[in-house]
Amino acid sequence: MDASAVGEQPESGLIAARDLSKSFGSVQVLGNVNLAVTEGEVVCVIGPSGSGKTTLLRCFALLEQPTEGVVTLRDRIIAAPQLPTDIRQNAKAARGDIGMVFQHFNLWPHFTVLQNVIEAPVRVKGDAKAAAEANAMRLLEKVGLADKRDQYPSRLSGGQQQRVAIARALAMKPSVMLFDEATSALDPELKHEVLLVMRSLAEEGMTMLVVTHEMGFARNVGSRVVFMDQGRVVEDAEPAAFFASAKTDRAQRFLRQMQD
Amino acid sequence: MGGYQFRWDVIPQNIDFLLSGLQQTLLISAITLSLAMLGGLMIAVMDMSRFAPLRFLALAVGEIIRNTPILVQLLWIYYVLPVAMGINLDSWTALIVGLSIYSSAFIAEAYRAGIQAVPKGHREAAQVLGLSPVQTFIRIVLPQAIRLTLPPLAANFVQLIKYSSLGAVISVGEITRRGMELSSSIFRPLEIFTFIAIIYFLICWPLAMGIRLWERRLSSR
Repeated sequence: MDASAVGEQPESGLIAARDLSKSFGSVQVLGNVNLAVTEGEVVCVIGPSGSGKTTLLRCFALLEQPTEGVVTLRDRIIAAPQLPTDIRQNAKAARGDIGMVFQHFNLWPHFTVLQNVIEAPVRVKGDAKAAAEANAMRLLEKVGLADKRDQYPSRLSGGQQQRVAIARALAMKPSVMLFDEATSALDPELKHEVLLVMRSLAEEGMTMLVVTHEMGFARNVGSRVVFMDQGRVVEDAEPAAFFASAKTDRAQRFLRQMQD
Repeated sequence: MGGYQFRWDVIPQNIDFLLSGLQQTLLISAITLSLAMLGGLMIAVMDMSRFAPLRFLALAVGEIIRNTPILVQLLWIYYVLPVAMGINLDSWTALIVGLSIYSSAFIAEAYRAGIQAVPKGHREAAQVLGLSPVQTFIRIVLPQAIRLTLPPLAANFVQLIKYSSLGAVISVGEITRRGMELSSSIFRPLEIFTFIAIIYFLICWPLAMGIRLWERRLSSR
């Protein structure tokens, strides 16, 4: 059952953080964040380092547990400070439905490219190996790496590894893709090939939450820009409006620094 | 030169006796390595356990073993255990038990280092994709950890071959003991112990070199 197919748009977007706070010990990293991403949106989260962007993304990916507040997927709570059985089950069902691409790729080095991509569909969904391979080859073609199927990740460039990592996440047919500074670890000329893949995903209508330092991507591909500072959402605006005239001093200062 | 007349012919004359000792040495090392791989796994699992008492026990056992001499441990097992706890082990068993426990403590460290060397991100990638903790450990962590653990395991094997010579002290008939026995009956310690040293070297050196090459290949991946 696909909720969107029958025209039911969840009230709080496809995936959302509600009053989300996260502390590590006595240090508060996220404070009362509210952010909803509706289907087909590409939301770019920008801000200075230490502003909590990555932690927010990791809460959405269920890698961090909120100290306060909740994360919902199609109005179902999937993360909360306490985890009663129903939320645990929601979370389990949500894994794989939320794809994540990491800054450092995190491909499994002892598997080939193809094995990396089919591992989760085969082990988690129980897909037949042949079907999983066919789907994986389609995805590898899409990211331009079909010819690398039998290579080990260490033989690939950073850009190629990241494209494989994108294919691996897509193999679970997620409803939303999270990108955690997916191009930050790459040389400038390699960033480009990854950004192109991300752009074509966005154009196909994938729902995306993208933590990035690529202002060009946020401006040209994003449907919304969220500016964070000190663990809070400071601005949430259309890219054109945000880049032309950010409302807050803090965001203006940040944008000036990015230009230097 | 003191005019010592080397009589190397005593070696071929007694070669069967010496080689039977070598056979024991290799057998003891191999058995001990197998047992220590299991023992090491037990200690490593206890070490990483969520239960504090188990962790404490593993820590205590590990620290005691790593910080007392292996020779003292062997003597203790052979001479003290029978008196203190009424456990009588023949010398061969005592050597196997002692060496196994000793190596377990070091192999546990190798396992733990191997598991901890697998980047956290690899586990997180698996978690996000929906692999269960058990699947993640078996499919993602273990294969990588084993690869990282093999060189230290092999190094441990070299260590065991050398340490098994301590069995001589509690009269286990491995090659060093055979040498001692032979030298006290034919009075040719120079030839005998030189020969034995060369034998140890010829076994251990290629192994150690092989491990070094192997590690270099692993780290260049």
